[in-house]
Amino acid sequence: MAEYFVARGLTIPQELSQNPLTNWRRLLVIATSILVIYTGLRVTDIDTSRANPEFAYNLVLQLFNWDFRLLTPQNEFETFWDTVEGLMIITIFLGIIASAIAVVIALPLSFFGARNIMTGHPVTTTIYTVIRLMFTIIRSIDVLIVVIVAAVLLGIGSAAGVFALAFHNIGVLGKLYSEAIEGIDHGPIEAITATGANRFQVIWTAVVPQIVNPFISFTIYRLDANVRLAPILGLVGGGGIGFILFQKINLFQYGGAGLIIFFIVVTVAAMDFFSAQVRKRLI
Amino acid sequence: MAPILSLKDLVKVYPSGTRALDGITLDIQPGEFLVLIGLSGSGKSTLLRCINRLIEPSSGTVVFEGADVTAARGAELRRIRRRIGMIFQQFNLVRRTSVFSNVLSGRLGYRSTWRTIASRPSGGDVSAVFENLGRVGIVDKAFARADALSGGQQQRVGIARALMQRPEVMLADEPVASLDPATSHSVMKYLEEINKKDGITVICSLHFLSLARRYGTRVVALKGGRVAFDGKPAEIDERRFKEIYGEDAIEVEIGPERSQPQPMSATEAALRAMADDTGHGAPPEIRPDG
Repeated sequence: MAEYFVARGLTIPQELSQNPLTNWRRLLVIATSILVIYTGLRVTDIDTSRANPEFAYNLVLQLFNWDFRLLTPQNEFETFWDTVEGLMIITIFLGIIASAIAVVIALPLSFFGARNIMTGHPVTTTIYTVIRLMFTIIRSIDVLIVVIVAAVLLGIGSAAGVFALAFHNIGVLGKLYSEAIEGIDHGPIEAITATGANRFQVIWTAVVPQIVNPFISFTIYRLDANVRLAPILGLVGGGGIGFILFQKINLFQYGGAGLIIFFIVVTVAAMDFFSAQVRKRLI
Repeated sequence: MAPILSLKDLVKVYPSGTRALDGITLDIQPGEFLVLIGLSGSGKSTLLRCINRLIEPSSGTVVFEGADVTAARGAELRRIRRRIGMIFQQFNLVRRTSVFSNVLSGRLGYRSTWRTIASRPSGGDVSAVFENLGRVGIVDKAFARADALSGGQQQRVGIARALMQRPEVMLADEPVASLDPATSHSVMKYLEEINKKDGITVICSLHFLSLARRYGTRVVALKGGRVAFDGKPAEIDERRFKEIYGEDAIEVEIGPERSQPQPMSATEAALRAMADDTGHGAPPEIRPDG
């Protein structure tokens, strides 16, 4: 394989003579991976001896023995909104409201968190750094942690769930939006500035048209994720269908729990599908 | 006659330490068609952008019609900018929006922020859009998306946008460097027309010396951020060319693989090769471009 170099009397490049079996870097990576996994297995002591396959089998069967009474109000105190489908709708709206709040706050902030908009002056650069740092910190706090804190502050229920979701998404959307702004073509900004437009007009005319599609795409992506997260929030006091699911499990009413899980799965799959469809069209 | 633009000791040092402009002093008379030539990195783009302060000069002054551009702030700077049109190598249109919106945006310096948001152009502005599109011969494309147009058409939209400002000076940064030779001439002719008919002073950077000779009334060559030549296009002979582009320029650029339909001068070949982005053999001197 080195004929080209041999024929011309050139030195054969090292890369050609390398043998994957003696490539010590590759071997090191493999050895390290094996070591890490082995150590992990020893340290965590994953113990399957307490598993009860028979009990688990019965439980799974119960999960599919759906309790259809949940589909209709069961007594004079219950309304449509206490049924599974009603709660599912409420939960979807929890996700939507939380997304809307996050968008309204993240959208204006994202411009202050975009490097290309904020450079040129020490004050604006500082604002940029602060905003981006804020986005990162907010994002790094998991929704489940926020909802537990929010449940203490606002009481158990929808308010805590919406607040937690909205809070987390300000960080996520803020970062996504800011990066979309940073990714735009700078040429139009230059051209519009040259016409004598003010800073706001430049952003409105040269930046906004370039970011509309990515913004919609990111928003739908997060909306989808939020509707997916909303049921889980109920488990830790966030209200909605997750709260009822948690109740059913605690009361060992697995038939009801199974039906609720089925509703969640269908909703999430549908959201996923529609979100992918819409976003595909935006690219 | 008083110069329309007066540059004095203009210096631009980039944060990287590159001295893009090293003391440029130029008086530009109204009605001139001034062509800037020079190697990539010689400071042409930086010079043009310092005139309307898209780039902040490090020191020196730019005086436009008696107004000190370099000292202007905020609204005052914007009022100066709107009298100076500019077109770009990459056209710099907002690609996703219509030709109409792009041309209309040339009027932003005269419009209130409120009108911008409400997108309620005045009737006069709307007719001006069509008038200017008519001048560059693409009224029929008014409602097409900007990125659906060919390069030459996009540059004409750029010209129409700049004309919306009713500028007294037109800055053109390599306006034809992304276009084929035939389209280049058509774009240059529009610039020539606004120069001759409207009396708009044109300052245009170019790669092709032939275009500089054909359209320019004055040629200024930059080398290393300084003025290396300032005079009539016809005065650039072989010797001056070498001064501007370096001794090696010709040697490096003429390659046997370059078959040209017509015989051309060594100078011409060198310049063509330089303008060609994929050109073999780099220009003798390359610096980060401003």
